[in-house]
Formats: sequence, structure tokens, C-alpha cells
Amino acid sequence: MNLFQPALSTFASDVDNLVMMITAIVGFWYLATNVMFFWLLWRYRAQEGVKALYVTGHEPELLRWITYPHYLIIFMDLFVIVGAIKVWYNVKQNLPEPQEVVRVVGQQWAWSFQHPGADGILDTADDIKTVDGLHVPVNKVVHAKLESRDVLHNFSIPVFRLKQDIVPGRVITAWFEATQAGVYDLQCAEMCGIGHGLMAGRIYVESDEDHLAWITANTPK
Amino acid sequence: MRVDVTSHGGAILLVAAIAAIGASLTSCMSTPAAGSPDEGLALFEDYCAPCHGANAAGQENIGAPSIASLPAWYITAEVHKFRDGARGAHFDDIEGLRMRPMAAALQTDGQIAAVAGYIAALPAARPAPTLKGDAEKGKVSFGVCSACHQADGTGSEALGAPPLTKQQDWYLARQIHKFKDGVRGANPLDKTGATMAPMARTLADEDAINNVIAHIQTLGK
Repeated sequence: MNLFQPALSTFASDVDNLVMMITAIVGFWYLATNVMFFWLLWRYRAQEGVKALYVTGHEPELLRWITYPHYLIIFMDLFVIVGAIKVWYNVKQNLPEPQEVVRVVGQQWAWSFQHPGADGILDTADDIKTVDGLHVPVNKVVHAKLESRDVLHNFSIPVFRLKQDIVPGRVITAWFEATQAGVYDLQCAEMCGIGHGLMAGRIYVESDEDHLAWITANTPK
Repeated sequence: MRVDVTSHGGAILLVAAIAAIGASLTSCMSTPAAGSPDEGLALFEDYCAPCHGANAAGQENIGAPSIASLPAWYITAEVHKFRDGARGAHFDDIEGLRMRPMAAALQTDGQIAAVAGYIAALPAARPAPTLKGDAEKGKVSFGVCSACHQADGTGSEALGAPPLTKQQDWYLARQIHKFKDGVRGANPLDKTGATMAPMARTLADEDAINNVIAHIQTLGK
């Protein structure tokens, strides 16, 4: 059994590496503070004949136990900030030129999709409209125009490490490039009402041949 | 070693209190036995009331119709259609797409029967008209409808035609439009819908739709 979902988009590993780095840094400090805390509890436990000492915390030899780790944490934060900005820029801001554009419509509690038909252009008469299933080609940059018919939703494809809020009244563009053909889950990741837990769908990542065959078979005559 | 009896007593009291709260919560959260009279009410409150209202009188602003007093056979049939994708699986069927996961949440035939029985027993809502039409002209058009829905609009279980007399006019109008536009009744699995779709197309325009609905509103009074 795999503990984690496979990473199947071009930026999925970047997201994973960022999360792992943050986990490692936070985990180190979590362990360090707990070891220190329990060691101090044991070291300065109540002992017969030893009077408790009131410590203000301002003594230099004590203060450095706070300031030195503090500087170290700020130093480590630089890695998190630089890593996070890099991932944010690549995933959310620097959208590569699309090779296919689809429309994703979220509503309580279903996903609907509009694919370009044989002409490859969205919003023309030969568009293919589906419910529950999004079909995209593998190794191609796909732009997804996200729209909501009612409330806030979130378009989430775990294997792509993609999560993007959908806001009513706005068209938000998300992008991805799938790296492996297959059928994967997609879901709503923003609480959207009583049926939120049932708002799921599938993404069909297809080879160029299979994708073309699907378009040909489903383009309205 | 000093033993703090008070502290131990407090701990025991705390554990007992937590156990009591847990037991009462478990009691509150327990589901009624399958087939029990309370099961239909519990399922209705969980899955139907959020949209159709506590008395099942419907909410126009979200397109949820009155379902109170609809016959159990019709509710059962429609829930199965939603579960099977025969209804509520069209790109443009916003209300149907919202209904579909709720129907899927009813996992067994017993649960469907329980909630259908509960709804059928609710007192019918007689909503005020919101559309204006000529009932006399509509009476002529209704001749086509009466073949299945009967002259008095009470429906026919044998033909799978639901009663129309207790339904809101706005809901009837929306459904006629859906049938005309192929949003409802176009799925091959929806056999009664396939019968209804060409009947809806006999209503040429908005006036014809409003007129026949105005006639339906006069029935059952």
C-alpha cells in the first residue's frame, strides 16, 4: 500500500518537496522543543533540600537559549519562503501556453465539463459537454477555466497536487500537465453544503490517439 | 510518598463525566432500526429537508419542488432514476445534478421505501400560482396530457405518470422546458421521460405552457 498518492503532473514533485521540507523543519523543532522541555522537567524536578529559584529570563546565559534558536528558525524560514514562492509562481502565476483549454463547472454537488470538439476551440458548436468525467491528453499543457454555478467550490486533483478555489462570478484559470495516462479521482476540496462529500468525479488522462478517438466519437454531429 | 486523594477523586469524576457525555452522544446519534417508522423521518431530515424544506413544500429559489404527498411509487421511481443516471445527469440540469447525490445517499431499497412512505404521508402543499395563463385555452392543450396524467390530473401509476395537481406552477414550467430542450427525458434509461419529451414539444411557446399550467391549477380544487 502506498502511503501517498503518486505524483503525476509536472509540478506535483515540486509541491511534495516543499511539503517535505516544511515537515522536516517543523518536525525538527517539534522534537527539539519537546526533548528540551522534558529534560528540563526532569533536571529541575522537586528535590529534598533544594530551594526553588525564581528566574526572570533576562540573564544573558538564559536569554541565549531563546535568541539562538530564534535566529536559526528565521534562517530556516528563508528556505521555506523561497521554496514556497517558487512553487506558487510556477503553479499559480506563471501559466505556460495551453495546448488544450477546457471549462470546469462546479455546482452543488456535481462537476460538469466542456471540452473543445474536433475543431480544438472551446465555445463553438462542436463542444463536448460531460458530467462527472473530464478527458484530457497526457503530456499536454491543459488550461481549466473554473466556474461555479452557486457557491464556493475547490477543484482538486490529488495526483496532480492541484487545488484551486472556484469563486461564483469569476472565471479562474488553473493549469496542469499530466505525466501518465490513466483514470484518477477529482473532488471538491471546499465545504460546499450537505452533499460536499459526494461531489466527486474522474479525470481521464489519455494518449494522443485515445484522446482523439474520444473526441471523434463524442463530437456532436 | 504523599497521595493526593482529592486529585484522584477528581480524576475519577472527570472520567465518569466524559463517559456519561459519550454515552448520551452515542444515544443521540444512533440511527433508527431499518424499516422502523422513524427511519423515513430520519432519512428525510438528512437528505430531503435541506432543499425541499421541513414540510416538503419546496423552495423556488433553489428549484426544489414540493414533494409532500407525492405517491410513494413515483418518489421511488424518480430516486432510482437519479441514482442510475437516467435523470439529473445532463450538463444543463442544475437542479437535477443537485438532486442526484442526495438520491445516491439512499443506499438500499428499504431506505428508499422508508423515505418515500414518509413523504407520501405528508399533507399536500397547495402553493399559490406565480404564472399567468388562460386556463380555458390550456384545457384544450391538456387533452394530450390527460392521456397519461388523467383528465383530473391525478396521474396513473400504471403509466408512470405522476399527479400534477399539487405541484407548483413554476416547477411544472421548468420541467416542460427541460423536456423540450432535451435536458430531461433524453436519456435512454428514462423510459417515462422519453414518453413525456415529445408531449412537451406539442406546447409551441411560453403562452401555451402557461395556459396548460393554468388549467392544471384549476384541477383538484
